[in-house]
Amino acid sequence: MRLGKWIAIIFLLSIFAFWVPVMATDQGVASTHDTEHGSTHGAEHAVAETGHGDVHPGSELHGHGDAGHGGHVNLGEVLKLWTCIPFACMLLSIALFPLLAPKFWHHHFGKVSAFWAACLAIPFLIAFKGVAVHEILHIILADYVPFIILLWALYTISGGILLKGTLRGTPIVNTIMILIGTVLASWMGTTGAAMLLIRPFLKANNYRKNRTFMVVFFIFLVANIGGSLTPLGDPPLFLGFLHGVDFFWTMKIMPHMLVTAGILLVVYFFLDTYHYKKEGLTSAPVEEGEKEPLKLVGTHNFIFLGGVVVSVLISGIVDWGEVNTLGIHRAVQDWARDGFLILMAILSLLTTSKRIHEDNDFSWFPIVEVAYLFIGIFITMVPCLLILKAGLKGEMGFLIAAVKEPMHYFWVTGTLSGFLDNAPTYLTFFNTALGAFYPGMPEAQAVPLLMTESSVYLKAISAGAVFFGSFSYIGNAPNFMVRSIAEEGGTPMPSFFGYILKYSLVFLFPTFVVVTLIFF
Amino acid sequence: MEFKKILFPTKFRELAFNSLESILELKKAGLNEVVLTYIIPRDEVGFVPYGGYMKDEEERLREQARIRFESWQEAISSEGIESKIRIEVGNPVPKLLRIAEEEKVDLIIAGRKKRTVLGKVYIGSHTLELVRRSRVPILVSKYMVRFECEGDLITRVNDRIFTRPLLATDWSEPSEKALKLVSSFKGLADKVLVTHIIGVKISKGLDKSELNRIEKESKERLEEYCDRLKKDGINAEPHLFSGRSAHEIIRVAREHKASMIVMGTTGKDRFKEFWLGSVSHRVTEESELPVLLVP
Repeated sequence: MRLGKWIAIIFLLSIFAFWVPVMATDQGVASTHDTEHGSTHGAEHAVAETGHGDVHPGSELHGHGDAGHGGHVNLGEVLKLWTCIPFACMLLSIALFPLLAPKFWHHHFGKVSAFWAACLAIPFLIAFKGVAVHEILHIILADYVPFIILLWALYTISGGILLKGTLRGTPIVNTIMILIGTVLASWMGTTGAAMLLIRPFLKANNYRKNRTFMVVFFIFLVANIGGSLTPLGDPPLFLGFLHGVDFFWTMKIMPHMLVTAGILLVVYFFLDTYHYKKEGLTSAPVEEGEKEPLKLVGTHNFIFLGGVVVSVLISGIVDWGEVNTLGIHRAVQDWARDGFLILMAILSLLTTSKRIHEDNDFSWFPIVEVAYLFIGIFITMVPCLLILKAGLKGEMGFLIAAVKEPMHYFWVTGTLSGFLDNAPTYLTFFNTALGAFYPGMPEAQAVPLLMTESSVYLKAISAGAVFFGSFSYIGNAPNFMVRSIAEEGGTPMPSFFGYILKYSLVFLFPTFVVVTLIFF
Repeated sequence: MEFKKILFPTKFRELAFNSLESILELKKAGLNEVVLTYIIPRDEVGFVPYGGYMKDEEERLREQARIRFESWQEAISSEGIESKIRIEVGNPVPKLLRIAEEEKVDLIIAGRKKRTVLGKVYIGSHTLELVRRSRVPILVSKYMVRFECEGDLITRVNDRIFTRPLLATDWSEPSEKALKLVSSFKGLADKVLVTHIIGVKISKGLDKSELNRIEKESKERLEEYCDRLKKDGINAEPHLFSGRSAHEIIRVAREHKASMIVMGTTGKDRFKEFWLGSVSHRVTEESELPVLLVP
């Protein structure tokens, strides 16, 4: 059977799967309603009330009067677990297609993303009408748009900075380069820091025989762990920021980050020294061609990076009121921040020489890929987030009941982040924690409590999502960009499983055990 | 000024080989080496979302290109011309400009885009960018084109492109260089149509005596250009017109059965071109004839 037919069948089944149970729930709730006046929470109300559009952020639906009719209906308590299937399929597509059908995936990932988004959105809209529209618009305007704007701005601006010159990749130089990248990652994003340094790093080591482990440690530290200190560093933390986590709260992960980065850098240094000696490179290699002095060009882009930091920071401090956009209430300062980020990126593009972008091999393709895939991820994850927010009353109550201790949050968030993208995973467990500790409480009230009363849990979720993002190639977007650039430059990289078995399990796993023993 | 070494980039679209064959005529003008180039766009093989790099695919594309080029090389060497192959991965335009610099080529050949029903232009964005940025002459070869003439759809094959070139001059330094280049077409060109258009911007608002002065001066200069070509053994005839420059050049080339258009180009960037316009780029985009641009 042709692929198109399979797609059509899956799509029709998903509409059918949504529709029939909602009808059944309607009848069930109707009969309950007859007997239990005033206490019904069901799809009936969800569906009925959506027509009136009296919907409040956070998916809470308020009735219009009488009891059974005046109940406070939470969509998360109504939705079934299987509504998360498109989300799971979306993440599995990201995990499996690059392994099983890379060529198909490379050319059709946008269609795959659109397909799973449609599988969720169309039946969801048919079943829940106005509420569904609200929820989808909410996640797009409040999460996806700022998320992608920040990534795009950081990617664009850092693409205008170029490190030129001749560097010789000795163990000390390499360790320092990775250390600098780790420090920069929290301020220019893991993607920005990785893109800035990976080419000079590879160039500096092109005379070395064994370069694979270097790139892997570069992915560990620069493309992931380094980004754990600010919401600019790694996408999951920015999602946390968008949901009310203070800008500087993430600095509380510094001890965790220092321990992790410290262990990995020391291990890296010894490993590099070992290979350096083994390759017989104790004396300086013969320089080929002219030695070019080290030079950073496009440095004015640091001003724009500063603008990004300041605008994100200010948007977390000031309160300029709210504005209603397509029925979604968003803070004015959030729109202003997004506009300012776009301005910074455009100014960077206009003021940076084309030659710098070309020497950086700058391409829009990776960021376009992320934009296409994440619209699918964000739309399909709507039911999952709603169910988790409902806490024990939702169909994922079992998960909330099972994940209790900080170490559970660290390892479960982490393990899933390692094999799914870490941004949606963070948001999933962020909501799990909200559901577990503050069920039914509005996010604006619950998040400050999570940052203070239950901060160890939020630290565990944040550290888990960021650190474990390095566990596989699919944990975090910059991982695959670094891999692609390294392979193009002739550095052999391990396979998907080779990376996990030879590197993640050997170096990351014990390090994370140490982090758990110390902090969780 | 001679075309000793040319860069022939290709995407292996239909008629690419025919286009190459039509260029080999340049042997009579001193051509002795062709650099056959294929750029594998990085986006085709790299940055597989969450996957990385498709090394196998790169190898496959390289191998495919190499085999095709090797068969082309036979045709090139049968003409007594040397050739070399360069297959690289990257962003096409900057990569081509870098290769042109490294190889020190005298001419870059750029392909043409199929003119669609909706589209009005013959060249794609890559070619246009190449035209804007190249420091060496570029020949936008349009081997087979379709165009509308008095309501009829005509298919034209531009195979013997050097026989009757139209040299459009605005007396600028690049035009002067273009003249020198055309001088190397001895043995290739039957006749060169040396053309100048008194543009609307110049003639607008001028009184008749001033216009007459410009006309007289232009005729003298055209004659001077023709004499220089004749001294080099190339037959040439002057043509003077007035009107909208790009439009007139295209019209004159069609009416006088030119085989190609040769022009100097000042290399305006995107911004300047937006505000000031570029006659050479408009002619390149809209004419059905091959256009040789000399920066």
